[in-house]
Amino acid sequence: MTTLRHVATPHPAATAGLGPRAAAGEPVAAVLAAALHLPGVDALPADLPGARAATVEEPACPPERAADLLGRKGLLAKEPATRLALCAVHRALGLPAKAPRRTGPADPRTAVVVSSNLGNVATVGDIARRLRDGGPREVGPLEAPNASSNVIAGAVAIWFRFGGPNLTVCSGATAGLDAIWLAGLLLRTGRADRVVVVGTEPDDAQARALHAARRGRADGRPLRAGAACLLLGPVDGPGEPLGLLGPVRAVGADGASPAAPGSIDASPGPVDGAVPGSVDGVPPAAPRLVDDAVLPGDHYGAAGVVHTAVALRLLAGASAVRVRCGDPADGFRELTVTGAGR
Amino acid sequence: MPATITASAVRTCFGDGPATWAALLRGDCGVAPLERATAEQVGVGSGYPIADGGPFRPSRWLADCVREALAAAGVDPRRQRVVSLVGTGLRESAEVERAALAGVVDFPAERLHFGGAVAAAAPGVERVVTLANACSAGGHALALAQDLVETGDADAVLVGGTDGSTASMLAMIGRVASRPTERVRPFDADRAGVLLGDGAAVLVVERERGDGGLARLLATGLSCDAGHETAPDPEGILRAVRDAHERAGRRPDQIDLVLAHGTGTALNDATEAHVLAEVFAGCAPGPLVTAVKGAVGHTSGGSALLSVAVAVEALRTGQVPPIAGLARPAPEAAGLRLVRGEAVRADPRVAQVDAFGFGGLNAVTLLEAVR
Repeated sequence: MTTLRHVATPHPAATAGLGPRAAAGEPVAAVLAAALHLPGVDALPADLPGARAATVEEPACPPERAADLLGRKGLLAKEPATRLALCAVHRALGLPAKAPRRTGPADPRTAVVVSSNLGNVATVGDIARRLRDGGPREVGPLEAPNASSNVIAGAVAIWFRFGGPNLTVCSGATAGLDAIWLAGLLLRTGRADRVVVVGTEPDDAQARALHAARRGRADGRPLRAGAACLLLGPVDGPGEPLGLLGPVRAVGADGASPAAPGSIDASPGPVDGAVPGSVDGVPPAAPRLVDDAVLPGDHYGAAGVVHTAVALRLLAGASAVRVRCGDPADGFRELTVTGAGR
Repeated sequence: MPATITASAVRTCFGDGPATWAALLRGDCGVAPLERATAEQVGVGSGYPIADGGPFRPSRWLADCVREALAAAGVDPRRQRVVSLVGTGLRESAEVERAALAGVVDFPAERLHFGGAVAAAAPGVERVVTLANACSAGGHALALAQDLVETGDADAVLVGGTDGSTASMLAMIGRVASRPTERVRPFDADRAGVLLGDGAAVLVVERERGDGGLARLLATGLSCDAGHETAPDPEGILRAVRDAHERAGRRPDQIDLVLAHGTGTALNDATEAHVLAEVFAGCAPGPLVTAVKGAVGHTSGGSALLSVAVAVEALRTGQVPPIAGLARPAPEAAGLRLVRGEAVRADPRVAQVDAFGFGGLNAVTLLEAVR
């Protein structure tokens, strides 16, 4: 049996020389658990060959009914994108509905990386309108966390008591795979033993208006609310992972040449020595691609995480699945998900 | 092999890096009436503004800093593997407010993040990732930048921080201030709260090279309090401090200078003073402590890297600027060696930079002189 297991990556603080560079194609993280929380999507499309039977599952509750899953306490001031994120993490952790929340000291070895672009834009716009109409007395200090763009990652950390590094990635259409890229870095450099990656977007009117005003928009793909969560650990960690994630590559729209962000007509340049879709320079037999076409609508900043969670379910029928997110304005990212094979 | 900072570029209410450093050494305070909002509108009438107009100001300051820092470092993203990490608290949320009030979005929404601004200023950059990590965003970006250079994933990282004030955040700081704040007075007994400053900073991080660069980047420790959304927690902050010291392989008694987060709020300054007292207990005489927010305001996502850039100058020149606005130290900070009144020559060798943010996000950086 082929094993993809490879040597442990040392903590850079404990080495005199350079730390580990991810070799082209070698996995950088193991997926310990994954969950989709996509309200309105009860099952993945039936035309996905090889999808595991588990694709039919409990329907995802919409943000206004998040208390059904999470319990009521502490949800009142939470925005829809935060609620969806909390639901996705709750499901990835395998917790029963309304399970009691963890207490005690924060776990310093679990990091949180959130990808979201539009999570708090409704609140920011709403505060601006209330200030215009009624002045500063119209807003309260309890709204302060929601005025800051990192509110979701902070809320996930507090809710589940994750005390490790806490990042919010909001790099546009590539944010989901950018988040996975940074999660892999946190694991490889020993900053965390486990990383909770969450992609989430809302679909309120303000978010929809901004999403539709992108240069990189695709007609017929409106913003869709939803979240996904991946629990990632080191490649050489204990247990049987759901799959292994390869390095996240910056690629062009055709999956081959890279494109710089912000430039639709960017000229090709070097891309980390990796040939997209290859492992150690050997072209594989064209793995299936999971991208925007797999689901209706656009999960935007969450898309890279959502697509990876979908790809993991397709692994039963394939040895590798490619995942892509991005758009012509922000550029594209890809990674390859492979079976753990151990 | 440690990473090194090979260039820095700064924009504050005082101007560019040299203008800012000169103002800090003089103990100047850049407080001024806000031009874009009034106390009647948002509850706060003062800040530390950069006097320019138009939309997308944080993107503009950032792009200016990127161009300046790239040229100073002699790094060419078309010939080297260069990535960029940009820390911000608010992104371009001021444009979201403008769109909400107008009822129409009149700009491409990709411009809420900084990918386009950096790519235009650094042609060939492999990828640009915007991190919304509140007031410690720049410190988080710096930690990851060092990791990318040390793992060999990148030859150089353009690490940036930028923020301008938004009406919604101004309203929030107005609501939490104990009384109207005239200026930021870090660690002062009479401090009344924080005011926002406009600003950006960009550092170039590379593997240590022959000329040593501006300063050695020893390590950045990261933690999340996971306790309260806005109130700092000493336990969470201590974890970031100890992570930084452990990664850097330095003891508290080897640290000569602390650039404190020092926001001038009752809660931050008391908590930070308590943590510093605990970390440096037993160190005689202990490090000098200074802070920049009394001079340039709280520049949010830019603040951590601005403090790092000031620490780099202190390590290079041996001079330590005073805490603008500090007249009478608060009792809880009385045991710290706060730099007051005028700049001192101290020739520090190792500096610690604190940055804490909403969500309980902590980033603590250690730097070492190369002179």
